[in-house]
Amino acid sequence: MKKQYLNEPSPAKRVWSIVAKVLIYVFLISIALILVFPYVWMLLTSFKDDYEAMSLTLTLFPKKWIFSNYEEIWSIVPFLSGVWNTIKVEVSVIAIGTFVSALAAFAFAKLHLPARNFWLLFLMSGMMVPYAALMMPQYRAFYELKMTDTLLPLILPGLFGNISMMFFFIQYMKGIPNAIIEAAKIDGAGYMRIFLTIMLPMTKTAIAAQVIFWFTGIWNDYFAPAIYLKDQTKMTLQPMMAFINSNNSGGTNLPLIMAGAVLSSLPMLIIYSTCQKFFVESMAISGVKG
Amino acid sequence: MKKRMSKVAKKEARVAFAFILLPIIGFCIFTIGAMIFSFKYSFENYNIFTGESKFVGWKNYSDLFKNVLYSASFKNSIKNTVVLLLSIPLSMGMGLLAAVFVKSGKVKGGKFFQVLYYIPVVSSAVAMNIVWRYIFNNEFGIINLLIGEKIAWLSDDTLIKVAIIAKNSLNGIGTAMILYLAAMLNIPKDYYEAAEIDGASKVRQFFKITLPLITPITFYQLITGLIGGFQSYADSQVFGAGVQGAQTIVYFIWQRGINQSRYGLASAASILLALAIMIITMIQFKMSDKWVYEE
Repeated sequence: MKKQYLNEPSPAKRVWSIVAKVLIYVFLISIALILVFPYVWMLLTSFKDDYEAMSLTLTLFPKKWIFSNYEEIWSIVPFLSGVWNTIKVEVSVIAIGTFVSALAAFAFAKLHLPARNFWLLFLMSGMMVPYAALMMPQYRAFYELKMTDTLLPLILPGLFGNISMMFFFIQYMKGIPNAIIEAAKIDGAGYMRIFLTIMLPMTKTAIAAQVIFWFTGIWNDYFAPAIYLKDQTKMTLQPMMAFINSNNSGGTNLPLIMAGAVLSSLPMLIIYSTCQKFFVESMAISGVKG
Repeated sequence: MKKRMSKVAKKEARVAFAFILLPIIGFCIFTIGAMIFSFKYSFENYNIFTGESKFVGWKNYSDLFKNVLYSASFKNSIKNTVVLLLSIPLSMGMGLLAAVFVKSGKVKGGKFFQVLYYIPVVSSAVAMNIVWRYIFNNEFGIINLLIGEKIAWLSDDTLIKVAIIAKNSLNGIGTAMILYLAAMLNIPKDYYEAAEIDGASKVRQFFKITLPLITPITFYQLITGLIGGFQSYADSQVFGAGVQGAQTIVYFIWQRGINQSRYGLASAASILLALAIMIITMIQFKMSDKWVYEE
């Protein structure tokens, strides 16, 4: 009798293993195709003409490639000012908000702070309050202050920091040895100086990851901008996209809308494809630790 | 420590407090302050023409459920919101399957699938909803063209929910997969080695080892999914274009509050929503040590 090794699979098992492999690939690839399809469809449609985009016969690729949609979109809506407004919100909120969050995280993680846990829980309790429950008073207050149709309602709340970002920084800063800070104190460095010259440089990977995260969040933010901005020239990108879409609910100018969707998604897709490691990792960390 | 703080420690405490002051101020204004006003509004009736508010007690709350003008649409929005939650277990199931497949080592390119599946999460909900709306279009949408029938995905009260659930469960696979993969990495390898020696099949190993050990992450996803799902808005506004079958609770609040200036009614609804979300969070706190595996 031939001696069979423990690890050598029988023929039946080997066939089964191949079948399983094929099925797994089919599953994974079909989901991938379905998920990528909207982007492909969006891109291809943006090069079609109105008539073809709404035709009742299915054509995947444009019969005739039209590039004029990408020229027109800039003149039909103030698309450029949409981009510019979004960037204004991004830069002011992220620059100041990140600094404020990191500074607070430094105090929580490394300084002698009486009632530390109370303040931390106090701040974090806000994370379970839905925005919808805060929206009306905020809207009325900004309305009374004549700030609707300006970017201030989107900028001001962000200047006070971002609690989930702060929490992430606290976790990260806890890993930095206290000895470094003590040594700096002995050298006579003030707290702000320690923060600026030691903590910030040592947290830069965490900061980069969180900034990318927040940048994406603001770029894609729709609810608050849609509430405050009614004037087209004041709109950020997302409400502008929704506006173009609802003005064309009949489907006319569909390729134009798709061109807008391509342009508004492109920056995020570029950021994601270059920094996907950050996204995937911070996602995994937040879940496993949370 | 309880005695007297040294001068240095006192100074440090003062500086530390100054450093956390801005987030605390922001929180007091934009969260606590706003919450108090929401609560106040919910007991008032705001007159659009005179701009005056009058205390009306629980009227706004009872109107939500009893007044013929609002109760139907409020109850409808609750029903829609709850039905749309169905996409959560669906994406979790598919995400788990994808994670198990990638983890099994039978396929190459696990990383590739992971990155690809996550794309919808970083994409703008508006742009994606516009494209999906086009894909599901009643007349010339690609789905109807493929089937060869004109199915009223976007106008039928039930079908639009089916469309939203389908779209959202696909878009949620990436998150679920990444979280499950991360959770599976934390399971010690010797568990599987021991099971292997005992002759347990792969399927048995999955049900007896993997599944129980990843319950914390399942629970986490369920809770964050519920909290997110309760606040869904873009699906109603952009994908549904406001049709009845797709109106969610937050859409109701937006429509009554911002659009029609019925602050009282909308605030009452938003207070109820906040309560529901707080209760879910509490349940998470209480339950997490009961039916969830922990070391």
